[in-house]
Amino acid sequence: MTSGAGRDAVDPDDELVRRAGAGDAAAVQALVAAKLRRVLALAERMLGDASEAEDVAQETFFRVWRHAARWRPGGARFDTWLHRVTLNLCYDRLRRRRERPVAEPPETPDPGPAPDRGLHAMDTGRRVQAALQALPPRQREAIVLCHYQELGNIEAAALMGVSVEALESLLSRGRRALKSALADLARPD
Amino acid sequence: MMTEERFLTLVGAYGADPQRWPLGERAAATAFLDANPELVAACLEAEAALDAVLAAHLTRDPSAAFRGRLVGAAPRQRAVGRTWRWLAGAGLGLGLAASCAAGVAAGFTLAPASVSRLFEPATGQSSSLADPVGDVSAS
Repeated sequence: MTSGAGRDAVDPDDELVRRAGAGDAAAVQALVAAKLRRVLALAERMLGDASEAEDVAQETFFRVWRHAARWRPGGARFDTWLHRVTLNLCYDRLRRRRERPVAEPPETPDPGPAPDRGLHAMDTGRRVQAALQALPPRQREAIVLCHYQELGNIEAAALMGVSVEALESLLSRGRRALKSALADLARPD
Repeated sequence: MMTEERFLTLVGAYGADPQRWPLGERAAATAFLDANPELVAACLEAEAALDAVLAAHLTRDPSAAFRGRLVGAAPRQRAVGRTWRWLAGAGLGLGLAASCAAGVAAGFTLAPASVSRLFEPATGQSSSLADPVGDVSAS
């Protein structure tokens, strides 16, 4: 959800991270339950490759465990820090791809079976994934952070190191490109 | 004050769902929409159609095995507790040893004077307990 709020007075994750850093097994479980899906989704949409996304998520959590004991409330929100770490790891991989072009494009993620999702929706999902991957990385990042991760515009802009105006420009250009690429699907009724 | 231009910029960036609009402008944008439904209808429909397509892109849930791997790599309380207990024990032992040593040293340096003051009689002469040698010599 997009909001204008910046750093809240109290980060709801602070206590959980502190306990996880102290080795509290319940807090570790809760932190993984609360954040893993988010980290994995961010990496998968940035990379367009489920296997690479899993590697990134794993490395992200290894870093969480290394830093949790030293986590100090009052700085960046933990969720923002988590997004930054994940994005850095994604950009490392995107850079490596550019330096060593692969013969085959990355595997299109299989969203897996779901009873309420038909073949048409799966096809649409793959089309969207392909359209996202065709965007310039910064436009993709803006769309993924604001639309899918539902970060506030101020938080997303800070995370990307740009102004809110620049973020909105990236979002607008990204959405226009997506509308064009998905024109046959994204037709108003 | 929400203008048509700003409204279209908002919708073009954040989509047609008011819940995604920036909190600080949401009320003004919603009021603008209520006041000008026909003016922005085409733009809203196009953005809503894109939102619906984007919603079809789902990601998979992490497997239980993957979750287990990450949990297994986390720091453990037992190991941490054992370390702290060892450190606390070692600290306590060192503290006790240092206290004993200080006590013995103080006893050596302070005991004669203090003990003699404790047993000093009112007359100013040494008591037999305080100066057994003097007692022997006096007799």
